[in-house]
Amino acid sequence: MTDVKFIIRTADQTRKAEVEMDRSSMGSDIVQAAVDNWALPTDTDYSLVNISTGKSLVPSQLLDENFVKPGDILEVQPVLVAGT
Amino acid sequence: MSFGMEPAARYLRHTLIDWFSQDDVSSARVGVVGAGAVGNEVLKCLALLGVGAIDIYDFDRIEVHNLTRSVLFRETDIGKDKATCAAERLRELDPNIKVAAYPGDFWRTLDLDAFAGYSAMICCVDNFEARIRLNLLCRLWGVSLINTGIDSRYAVVDTFPFSQSPDAGCYECGLPPSVYQRVSQRYSCGGLKKIAFIEKRIPTTVITASLAGSLAASQALRFGLPENRASRRIFADSIAGTSTSSELPQRADCPVCAQYRAPIQITRCRGGLHAALAPLAASETTAEITLPEPVIMSFQCKSCGLAQGQDKPLLWRAADHDAGLANCAGCGAEGAVEIEIRDKLAVELLAAAQQVPVPFVLSASDWGTQVFVLGRDSNNDGR
Repeated sequence: MTDVKFIIRTADQTRKAEVEMDRSSMGSDIVQAAVDNWALPTDTDYSLVNISTGKSLVPSQLLDENFVKPGDILEVQPVLVAGT
Repeated sequence: MSFGMEPAARYLRHTLIDWFSQDDVSSARVGVVGAGAVGNEVLKCLALLGVGAIDIYDFDRIEVHNLTRSVLFRETDIGKDKATCAAERLRELDPNIKVAAYPGDFWRTLDLDAFAGYSAMICCVDNFEARIRLNLLCRLWGVSLINTGIDSRYAVVDTFPFSQSPDAGCYECGLPPSVYQRVSQRYSCGGLKKIAFIEKRIPTTVITASLAGSLAASQALRFGLPENRASRRIFADSIAGTSTSSELPQRADCPVCAQYRAPIQITRCRGGLHAALAPLAASETTAEITLPEPVIMSFQCKSCGLAQGQDKPLLWRAADHDAGLANCAGCGAEGAVEIEIRDKLAVELLAAAQQVPVPFVLSASDWGTQVFVLGRDSNNDGR
């Protein structure tokens, strides 16, 4: 499998990094890497959005060429559960 | 009979907007589940827009801390049920619209016979379980769904246009596995609620609530437009003033979309579940029926042998019981009771049951999905 280089950032854009990952990685792998490396709150769930294509990446989605191209910006967004 | 001002005069400014159809809005019927912070804002918008019929579902009562985020509630309302109070305020805002309140758990109060008549359902709850349940209902019945969520900074609005795109991505398509782990923390193994579980409280403000509420109401008006055939998520940052909009694709291994395939046939069990399931019972291919929530089949104390449900399944809703059931009521031995809990039953077993405490059951296969709607007063046996 080949690698793909892209940009990952948090929703508030206070954390941003260029990373290179194997295309066999999944969306959930990216989220986990962000949580681990940036010490994001672990009592929150996160989803992943490709800002460049305007598509959400489902957790089991591989970093296929159809979903992530070199230079794309992926944003880690919290899954919001409150409503009251 | 209306006691309000002449509707034509009330909505005059709306009619000046070229993309806005007051007739469409006035003929819409929208259900709102959750009348808390976001629910208040959604309801306020729907009423002021003149949405013709609004149904409000909420089990909760108004507490003093709700007042910082709930435009429809007053100090004098503390202790009242949210759905009824919100309905009264909406009638004050616009006497021309029809508003109905359904206090209680929507899972039990929703009239599934009339569910398909909703133009949209808007989910304004504060937990994953209710979102997952409403998503399942909307996906099966083909009712478009809007999900909302907030914290102290962000607001999210997801739109699922199931009425025009039955195969659009659903709420569970985008849920990370960690959500299921988090939901399971509330339950002991088997699906019984833990006796003691401290729920994490997420602080919110009316700023994110109103942001989510107005976006949700706006999106509810836009179902049916050709450009809105895909599920989408709007994620807004109330501090930075930015937002993103992304498509929510269907997930191949989604617990809902992968299991419950089209065509979906909904059958009302007017002659009883036994009669409705008879063709399936005679079929050699359909072995099991899925329940939308787990039920307790039987239990037996390993210490004293006290048992129930060995000959005839109990079919109690697991959600009505907590882990205390594992302590024997006979000998008092703690954790000695083995409880059998299932959410799949053999067709023959279910067909023989006189009472099934769930609103509907499902039969899923590669050829499609059959939904059997049961009576609201648990069941329905016409024999």
